[in-house]
Amino acid sequence: MRFRLLSLAATAATYFLIFVGGLVRVSGAGLGCPDWPKCFGRWIPPVRIEQIPPEIDPALFNFTLAWIEYINRLIGVGVGFLILSVALYAIFRFRHRPKILFPAILAVVLTAFQGWQGGKVVASELEPMLVSVHMAIAFLIVSLLIYVTHQAYHLDGAKTTLAVEYPAGITKWAGIMWLLIIIQVIAGTHVRGSIEIMSRRFPLLNPAELLAEIGAVSYFHSLLGIIIALVAMAMGVIVIKDSRDFSSIAIQCAWALAGLGFFQIIFGMVLFLFGNPPVIQVLHLWIAALLSGIALLFFLTLKKGSKT
Amino acid sequence: MRNRKPFPILLIVIIIALILLAAVAIIVVSRADLSRSKIPVLYQLPDFELTDQSGQPFGLSRMLGKISIVDFIFTNCKGPCPIMASKMSELYLLYKDYDHIQFVSISVDPERDTLEALREYAILQGVNDDRWVFLRGPLDDVVRLSEQGFKLAADVETLPMGHTIVWTLVDQDGRIRSYHNGTDDADIDVLKENIRRLNREIR
Repeated sequence: MRFRLLSLAATAATYFLIFVGGLVRVSGAGLGCPDWPKCFGRWIPPVRIEQIPPEIDPALFNFTLAWIEYINRLIGVGVGFLILSVALYAIFRFRHRPKILFPAILAVVLTAFQGWQGGKVVASELEPMLVSVHMAIAFLIVSLLIYVTHQAYHLDGAKTTLAVEYPAGITKWAGIMWLLIIIQVIAGTHVRGSIEIMSRRFPLLNPAELLAEIGAVSYFHSLLGIIIALVAMAMGVIVIKDSRDFSSIAIQCAWALAGLGFFQIIFGMVLFLFGNPPVIQVLHLWIAALLSGIALLFFLTLKKGSKT
Repeated sequence: MRNRKPFPILLIVIIIALILLAAVAIIVVSRADLSRSKIPVLYQLPDFELTDQSGQPFGLSRMLGKISIVDFIFTNCKGPCPIMASKMSELYLLYKDYDHIQFVSISVDPERDTLEALREYAILQGVNDDRWVFLRGPLDDVVRLSEQGFKLAADVETLPMGHTIVWTLVDQDGRIRSYHNGTDDADIDVLKENIRRLNREIR
């Protein structure tokens, strides 16, 4: 199997895992298994209440939530092995290409750490800060995989990629955009954490009122979201209109950034107006993960192009 | 020469993935919500001994394995009873295909509600099978069952007029799971939802 396909598959699988992880959070299944790495002391979660060992309170058992959480762990292990195979492949074939070797090894180390840190999240009974760290590591892993995949594609397609010229400044703007998206994700995480804390302090307020109560961060997040979407669309128009000068990956990224930026604003408004429906929450988070990855790929593609 | 503009395949693939994942998310989140909303177990009913309209003994054993909706009535009642009786008839018709869902009406006026009177009342309500039974027994027994078994007030001084309008949902193990106002349609909707969930527990 070609390395770049393996690396691409690992990236896609990691995105799926990020979705599943978000789903665990919004469905409230994070404590579906009170222990780690086993679930109720078993490698296969219990299906009947009698299978629960005496030292664990059977009132904690909920068949559905246990399996949701456990499937996240199983998929996590599967994706972990996929990333491990990327790293092993890189060690054997690309020992002398540090731009592939080191990020691949870092990705697998972070993935192992992520599994262990997930256990800490469960042990802390879902402490908001640790949950956010868990998400941040996932974003980091997927960014590394995108970097590796991009390098691998460049390696194979180096001769076929024509020397293209980009308008001055567009690479810089792509980099700024990636940074803005990272800031936006951090702000979004903060909004989410604040809602959790505020809902305990003000039990009489509904989620929309809570968002208003949080104030600055939530306005910042909304405003920055609109700015990012507008910049993405403007860059999209430039790139798509003048596609002669751009590689097709850059154009794909431009379409995706503009389109997803638009979705993200709509979903953000729905969250604001309709009291954080869980399904929209997980999609909002998943698109954020996609946006940060695609913005990175866009930047890398333009940067590579402008050098040759 | 201008290149052919590429089709936004990445965006299309992502949108398709989004739609599929949204469907998965809706299913998983609703399953998780459902799994959390188990109806609490309130009290275990004690055994009791009354007689149904056909003269057969009726006790706790005839409630085991079935979902029962229990109310207290008297056939001469003029107040809220006709409304409650018609609501109960609607439910009786609604669940006509399910033998394991039964309705139990206990008379608080055994003096006037003879077996004969209860049989006539049953016919009046359109009862044609044993899914809805009408029970009578010594007043003291009924009062004790109401107060100690169902935890519903029954004051001998004010009976039969002062009987409760609360319906009780009893599960397949003879345990009280919820109380409902038999004159309130919104509350009856909650009762129907609870019956659905209890039914899932049985299966």
